[in-house]
Amino acid sequence: MAAGEQEARDYLQRHRLPELLHRLGALLLYHRPERPREFLIRMLERVKAGKRAEGEYPYLMDEANLAAMFGLLDVVGQGHITPAQYREALKTLGLSTEDLQLGDDVNITLDVFKEEVKKKMLESWAVY
Amino acid sequence: QNMLEELLIHKPDDPIQYMINHLKQNNDDAPRICVLGPPASGKTTVAMWLCKHLDAIRISQETLLFKEILALTREAKMYKERKQKIPNALWANLIQERLSNVDCIKQGWILEGFPENQEQAWMLQSSGIIPRHVVVLYAPDTVLIERNSGKRLDPFTEEVYHTTFDWPSDPLIQQRLVKPEDLSEQEMSKKLLEYHRNFPGVFQIYQKVLKSISADQPSMDVLSQVLTYVQTRHRSAAPFTPRILFCGPPGSGKSLQAALIAQKYSVVNICCGQLLKEAVADKTKLGELIKPYIDNGYPVPDNLVMKILAERLNALDCMTNGWVLYGFPRDIEQGEQLQKSHIIPN
Repeated sequence: MAAGEQEARDYLQRHRLPELLHRLGALLLYHRPERPREFLIRMLERVKAGKRAEGEYPYLMDEANLAAMFGLLDVVGQGHITPAQYREALKTLGLSTEDLQLGDDVNITLDVFKEEVKKKMLESWAVY
Repeated sequence: QNMLEELLIHKPDDPIQYMINHLKQNNDDAPRICVLGPPASGKTTVAMWLCKHLDAIRISQETLLFKEILALTREAKMYKERKQKIPNALWANLIQERLSNVDCIKQGWILEGFPENQEQAWMLQSSGIIPRHVVVLYAPDTVLIERNSGKRLDPFTEEVYHTTFDWPSDPLIQQRLVKPEDLSEQEMSKKLLEYHRNFPGVFQIYQKVLKSISADQPSMDVLSQVLTYVQTRHRSAAPFTPRILFCGPPGSGKSLQAALIAQKYSVVNICCGQLLKEAVADKTKLGELIKPYIDNGYPVPDNLVMKILAERLNALDCMTNGWVLYGFPRDIEQGEQLQKSHIIPN
């Protein structure tokens, strides 16, 4: 690969631009605003504000969605899900599952689920 | 796509702020055009006309040296006074400086007569100046040499006129016109030779955005062709399935055009009459129903045709690649039935 191309790819990797553009695309498709340009500007301002801890990142899933997702996984209504299900859920949401040190017998309740997922989403947006 | 290109060219440290600024600028539609061609092909005329029409800024070697006051202009003028050729790097820097002015960013720019050779083109590219449309004028050498001898300049408005082809009607302008200085046939042939030597390199670099337009036609034709090209957008990577309907009287060439379009854009070509015959030949259930009509030469009833057509148009290859249809609908009822079955051409 030529030096220029390598530099460009490193730049993209360093600032995680492909993921950011992917998320912006997902937001656009979900909200389908009448004026996409202004919408994108607003979303990017929110990302900037979130970095300075002044506002909320533009999340696609909110608490109600998370509760619904938990409900789908916990079909029987026990009130908790297994770590394997938890890992699968994290993968579906696109969050990393590397730093999980849960044993196979610990059960995850709704609150723990919500907390962990919110923390991970915050981390994943904070890199910008 | 534009935003990502800009990000990769400039590689700012704070990409989010850069993206916000880029979106606020909203200059994706601003023209970025290069007009190239041998001497006497009419580049200045074309560039000035485009400038008036698109409201963009025209930049040529003369305007950079004489009209604009940029930091590097003095240095460039010194070279000109010493009758030396201005080095490519200096040209590239001059142009880059001029293009980074706010008016060029907002209104767009038209670069005339530059780059002249491959080296200049590479320098433009490495400073991130990439035209979206490149117009190349061409004409046989003999026509150009003859045309050159009739060239006249208006020193006031800088417009280029011609004694035979483009004579101004205003007598005031007629009196003002002067012959440009470097006009001898010898000079002209030298410039033409150089142009032909350097040009293939430039052509290769801008091949994807380039269009050659013959300059050996009446000027209005040239101008209208250039304007049409410059206002077309290039095909983007966005997914798009064309759903084309061809209407026309018998003998107007529908089947030929449909076949050509199907070949060029890889869409599925559907002729209604053909489709019905295929259904009969395949001995499908619907084919059996319409067989008696076709055998006796009677037109097939609309609802049967609609069923066969709907089935074909909703098949996977039509949905993914798009289709071109001709031979249907032939009257209002058929058209309304088409709308009702949600087959809507775009």
